[in-house]
Amino acid sequence: MKVPARRIAPGRASATALVCPVPFSFVGGADPVTGKILDQDTNCAGKRLRGRTFAFPHGKGSTVGSYVLYGLAKRRSGPAAIVNAHAETIVAVGAILAGIPMVDRVDVSGLRTGDRVVVDADAGFVELPDVRAIPVVTAILRNERRILIMRRSRRVGSFRGRWSAVSGYLEGDEDPRDRARREIREETGITGAIFRATASPIIARDRATAYVVHPFLFDVPTRRVRLDWENVAGRWIRPADIEKYVTVPRLKDVVSAVKS
Amino acid sequence: MDLTKGQERLLDRGTPAQRKAMRILVALGEMNGARNLVAVTSAHVSGASYKMIGDPGVEFLEHFARDARVAVPTTVNPMGTDLRQWRDLGIPRAFAEKQARIARAYERMGARPTYSCVPYEIGVRPGLGEHVAWSESNAVCFANSVLGARTNREGGPSALAAAIVGATPNYGLHTLAGRRPTVVVRVTTKLRGLDYSLVGLVAGERVGDGLPFFRGFRATEADLKWLGAALASSGACGMFHLAGVTPEARRATTRGLPTIAIGRADLQAAKRSYTDGTRADIIALGSPQLSSQELRAIARLVDRTPPRIPVWVFTSRPVRDANAGAVRTIERRGGVVLADTCLEVTLLEHRFGTVATPSGKGAYYLPSLCGQKVILDNIEALLERYA
Repeated sequence: MKVPARRIAPGRASATALVCPVPFSFVGGADPVTGKILDQDTNCAGKRLRGRTFAFPHGKGSTVGSYVLYGLAKRRSGPAAIVNAHAETIVAVGAILAGIPMVDRVDVSGLRTGDRVVVDADAGFVELPDVRAIPVVTAILRNERRILIMRRSRRVGSFRGRWSAVSGYLEGDEDPRDRARREIREETGITGAIFRATASPIIARDRATAYVVHPFLFDVPTRRVRLDWENVAGRWIRPADIEKYVTVPRLKDVVSAVKS
Repeated sequence: MDLTKGQERLLDRGTPAQRKAMRILVALGEMNGARNLVAVTSAHVSGASYKMIGDPGVEFLEHFARDARVAVPTTVNPMGTDLRQWRDLGIPRAFAEKQARIARAYERMGARPTYSCVPYEIGVRPGLGEHVAWSESNAVCFANSVLGARTNREGGPSALAAAIVGATPNYGLHTLAGRRPTVVVRVTTKLRGLDYSLVGLVAGERVGDGLPFFRGFRATEADLKWLGAALASSGACGMFHLAGVTPEARRATTRGLPTIAIGRADLQAAKRSYTDGTRADIIALGSPQLSSQELRAIARLVDRTPPRIPVWVFTSRPVRDANAGAVRTIERRGGVVLADTCLEVTLLEHRFGTVATPSGKGAYYLPSLCGQKVILDNIEALLERYA
């Protein structure tokens, strides 16, 4: 699997992932000498940063964190690379001072501790050579503050009976937005959809495979939907109500990615 | 980002410090949607107290100072103690030595050897529309709001990077759009003394990272110093407007903005909520450091109502030097006047547990940064209570 990423600090590294699911502070979060993780909320307390690709959503806490990261690197106890969902100043500055390659705009919840990860900040990507990617598009259709979800039929290849949005496989070098438009026409019969937003891919991970979901938001002029064979029902719901449905993985995150 | 030829040269072929500084500025600029860097006329760098930045900070600054040199006039925030009086204060020698190393590193980079959170009171007063790169939230708020200069809320390292390059990413408060108010704050009670700090604390809590447009009161520059310091502590504000007073208030449009009101009851509630101590061990004045006028006023008050507990007064070195008479008066009454350091970045937790202060910013930070309980009140009331 290879996903695009934005360069924050230059460089390239290949190292095993250490994934922290919550925002991280280098002040108090890690031992400044050994690089051992101290913060119990990280799921990786006791592990060491040294030589790992450290992935977490974003930094938090005291600005002294930049200097802590610098100090770790100088003692060779720092991570080999940093991957964030969205970079903020403390970690970004720390990575630059420390000379640690860093990227952001990566859905770190699609990474697992132990994954082999190549971070190439200069070329702008993150690659997981042992994970097979299944690239798909998901288009959230919006009409007057309601969004369309559809129940997948028993004839589709995956997630039968679950609620989803307009979606489809990406083929070859196809432009994701073009694919999204085609799927909208095929699955709903709606024409005149207006593109509103996209976001970094959401990674729905299932062991050694990962659905790399390119999310889109379109405004549509009508709620009249003509279903094709892929779906058996459609419903226009308030975005907050998505919690009440059994959906395909990460649909809620797809919605919030394009709505924020 | 669009870089000038000179900036490209620094990024590719500058000294190691210049390359690192440029990388920081470019990364922060790209993260924040800046199209270019804007030249600055001064920098103000936070992160000088050993208590705050610790060994990682000392290590970085000493390494950086080997070849980093500032390109514009640069001032530095207060240190962790007054290096001319640390023995009398009971500061551990190891702390003072590390602190001195930090000062030497900054001075080697070419920063002005005075450590102050009020650069605007020691002669650095950028004019209307002038771009600067300042960290230290109270100074940022004062520069933007009262002087009409332009700076984002820089962090310590980003302000240092801007000092090395002489420029900073052009976004946020550097742009006209970023200086528009986002909320109207109507103050419905008459303000004096401590009230300005209280208004700042309450408004900061309510507006978060918004940009408040205040109405309903007048204020001197000194009043706005205390209001801004508190506002920038409880909120993430880098600027405010005050109708009829601050230089950009007249051009600001407030039509359609949400309005919140702050009245006497709100101020009383804030004073209560920031007070969790019952018996003070020390009265501390600063945060931000006192001006000449403020120092002399305190000397008169202390002389009239001498306190029976220690009084620590924080000011800048130039102000302390210029007011020898006021300093003698305070010392005669058992107080100390400290320079180059300030209330919450100074080491005082080795001796005290409860601090009484009239500083809203102090009251906000003392519990977390110094492990202190706080009594927040007017200085007159505090001196009478502990006379």
